[in-house]
Amino acid sequence: MDFAIEDSAEQSTFREEVRVWLKENIPEGTEFPVDPGDLTLEQYEHRRELGRRLGDQSWLYPNMPTKYGGGDLPVEKVVILHEEMGRAGLSLPPYYDAGGRMAAPTILVWGSEEHKDRFLPEICKGRVRSWQLLTEPGAGSDLAGIKMTAIRDGKDYVLNGQKIFVGSSHGAEQSWTVVVTDPEGKRHHNLSWFMIPMDLPGITVVPMNLLTAGGEGGSGCGVKNTIFFDDVRVPAENLVGGENNGWKVATTHLEMEHGGAGRLGERGVIKEFIDYCQDEHHGHNLLESAEARETLVDLYIESEVTRLFAIRNYWMAHNNHPRSYEGSQYSLRRKLSGLDIAEKILEIAGPYALTNDEQYGPLKGALELYGREAITALHPGATTDIQRVIMSRRIGIGRQDREKVGALR
Amino acid sequence: MDLSLTETQQLIQDSTRDFVRNDFAKEILLDLDEMPALMTSELWTKVSQLGWMGMAIPEEYGGTGNTLTDVAVLYEELGRGPVPGPLFSSGVLGALILLKTANSSQKEAWLPGIADGSRILAVAATEKHYGWSPAHIAMTARRNGEDYVLDGTKLFVHDAASATDLLVLAKSESGISLLRVDANADGIAIRVLPGFLSGVTEVTFENVRVPSSDLVGIEGAAWAGYDAALQSAIPVLCAYKVGACQALFELCVDYSKERTQFGQPIGKFQRVQDHIIHIVNYLDAARWTTNEALWKLDTGQDAASSVHMAKALSSDGYLRSCDFAHEVHAGIGVMREYGLTLHTKMSRSLYHCLGAPKFHRKRMEGALGLVQA
Repeated sequence: MDFAIEDSAEQSTFREEVRVWLKENIPEGTEFPVDPGDLTLEQYEHRRELGRRLGDQSWLYPNMPTKYGGGDLPVEKVVILHEEMGRAGLSLPPYYDAGGRMAAPTILVWGSEEHKDRFLPEICKGRVRSWQLLTEPGAGSDLAGIKMTAIRDGKDYVLNGQKIFVGSSHGAEQSWTVVVTDPEGKRHHNLSWFMIPMDLPGITVVPMNLLTAGGEGGSGCGVKNTIFFDDVRVPAENLVGGENNGWKVATTHLEMEHGGAGRLGERGVIKEFIDYCQDEHHGHNLLESAEARETLVDLYIESEVTRLFAIRNYWMAHNNHPRSYEGSQYSLRRKLSGLDIAEKILEIAGPYALTNDEQYGPLKGALELYGREAITALHPGATTDIQRVIMSRRIGIGRQDREKVGALR
Repeated sequence: MDLSLTETQQLIQDSTRDFVRNDFAKEILLDLDEMPALMTSELWTKVSQLGWMGMAIPEEYGGTGNTLTDVAVLYEELGRGPVPGPLFSSGVLGALILLKTANSSQKEAWLPGIADGSRILAVAATEKHYGWSPAHIAMTARRNGEDYVLDGTKLFVHDAASATDLLVLAKSESGISLLRVDANADGIAIRVLPGFLSGVTEVTFENVRVPSSDLVGIEGAAWAGYDAALQSAIPVLCAYKVGACQALFELCVDYSKERTQFGQPIGKFQRVQDHIIHIVNYLDAARWTTNEALWKLDTGQDAASSVHMAKALSSDGYLRSCDFAHEVHAGIGVMREYGLTLHTKMSRSLYHCLGAPKFHRKRMEGALGLVQA
C-alpha cells in the first residue's frame, strides 16, 4: 500500500508543465470571491474562457477518453491537475458544471455512439456548461416519484413540469434532465433522460432564495433556481439511454452524485482554519485554552477521515475496483462531518465564526459561509437518511440479495 | 410537588401565544429579519402596552413585579417565533442588572422608562477578546474631572442597534465599573455585523464623556451584582430557547405528516422519527433544567449549578434541534420563506450569548464543589 503522492520524474515534469500553463492561461481578472454567490458575470466568463482553454489541452475532463475530448490521463496526472487548480484557488472544471460532470460519464455508459459524438466533446472541450435537473417539489428523496412529463409528438417530445434546486448563477447552455415518458407506466419503468438545450421556447428560470446555494463541493454555483417547462418541444434524438429506461440510467448518474467517484483536493477551508488558529487575531490566540486545542484536534480527525474516504473512492473508481456502499458512505460522512466541523469551528472561534464582516470575519468570511453551507449540504444528492438506506442495501442488511452498485466506466 | 403552571402563568402563556401567532406571524418575522433594529416602532409600542417590558421590574419602579418563572413563560412563547429584537436585552437582562447594581435614585430615574418601553437597554460587556469573565473586560473608564471617559470597542453586543441606552462594563481605577450611556452620545458608533447572526453589533467608543451620575452603583464594584443579575436572567433566555425547540418540534411533527415520499408520509420512516425524537429529547432536557433553575431562583435557593446546566443544555439543544429539523425538512428547510432558517440563525446568534455551553460546564465544576470555586 502506498499513500504517498510523490511525483515521479515524469509526473513532476507534468506538474511543472501544468503550473506554467496555468500561469499563462488563467485569464486576467479571474477573481476568487469567497462566496460563489458573489461571482459576477464577467468573472464567470473568465472562468468559461479558462474552461475552453483547458478543454483544448484535454485537461478539462482529463479522465474522459481522448476520442471524446478528454485526456485519458492516468489517475496520478488527474490528481496533479486537481491539485494545481486548487493551488490557484480554482476547481476542475473551474465553474459549476454538475450536468457535465455527471452526464458525461453517464452518456459514456448509456448513450448511443451518436449521443457520445454529439454531447461528449462539447462537454469535455468546455464549449457548454450543463445543469442537472432531477428534484421536483414533490420528489426529493423519492426521485422515482417525479411528475414532469415528456410526451412524444411526431419528431419531438413535449415537456411540461417543474424542477427545483437547479444549477447556478449565469445560466447554462443545456440541462441533463430526468422526466416521465410514460405517465401510465409502472414505477421505475416510466422514466427517460434528455439533454435539453436551454434556449428552447417555454423554459423559465426563477432564482430561489436559499440559506446558501452551495453544498455540492468543488466549484460553487452561486444561486439555485426553479425551472418551469411549458410545452417545451425537444427533438426525440435528445433522449439518451432508451425510452422508459431512465431508472437504470439514473443508477450511474446517482452513483456519481452519491460520491462513488470520490473527490480530490478538498478541505481548503479546514486547512486555512487550522493555520488561522495558530496566529494571533484581535490581540489574542484562540489556542491558548486547552479545550480549544482539543476541539481543533477532533476537527482535524473528522476532516482527515472524510478526506481518506474520498481518496479511497477515487482510487477505487479509477482502477475499476469492485465497489459497494463506499459512495454513500463518503457522502454521508461528508454531510455529517461538515456539520460537526462547523460546530467545532463555532466552539473554537466563538461568534467570530458567524460574521463575514470585513474587519472581524475570519478568512474573509469563509468560516461564516462554511457554517451555512454545512446545513445546506445536508440535502443535495440525497439526504443522510437515503445514504444510510443505500449503504444498508448494498451491505445486505436485512435482505437476501445485496443491491448492485451503479455502473461507472 | 406541582409542576403545572399557575393561573397567572397560564393566562400569560395563552395571551402571548395568540399575540405571537398573529402579530409576529412568519411573514412579519421574515420582514423584521431584514431590518437592522429587528423591530418596528408599531410593534414595540404594542408589546410595551401589553406590559411585557415591565414584567421583571418591581411595582415601585413602574413594573408588575412578576416572578422569574412568570417572565420565563412569556419568553418561552417569544422563542416560538422566534421573536427578535431587544425585549430580553432591555426588559430582563438590562432591568435585572440595574436592580442588582444601581442606587435607588438611578432605579427611580431609569426603570420606569424600561417598564413602559420608552427606554431600551443593551448590555455592552464583551470585547475583541471574547468571553464572559471579568478577565475579558479590558475597556477603560478613565476619570476626568466630574466625568468618566470611555475609549475602546465592545464587540458582539446584542441589540445595540435598537437601544436608547447602553450599559457598559469597563475597568476604572478600583475595579470593574458599570456605566449607563446614551446610545446616541457623541463618540459612539454602532454597527450591525453582517453574516449568519441576528442583532449582533460592534460598538465603538471614542472619547465618550459620561457624567459620574451615570456611573451605576459603586465604582469598581459592579461585577458581583452584574454576575448575580446574569444568573437570574440566564434561565429566562433558556426559556426562550425552550420555546424555540418546542416550535421546531411541532414544525417537524407537522411536516412529517404532510410530506409524502415513496407513497407515504415521511413520518413513517424510522430514520425521520429518530431525528424528531432527538429534538424532543433536547427540548425536554432544556425545559426541565430551566424550570427547576427558575423555581430555585424564585424561592431563594442556591441555583448556581442549575442555572449553568440549563444554559449549557438549552444552547446546545437549540443549535442541534435546528440541525435535526434540517434533516427532517431537507430542501424546503433551506428556502428562506419557509421560516426554519430564522431559527437556525437565531440558534447560532444566541449560542455564545451570556456564555457558551463549555463555559457554563466549566463553572459547574465550581458550583458542584469539584474544584475550589
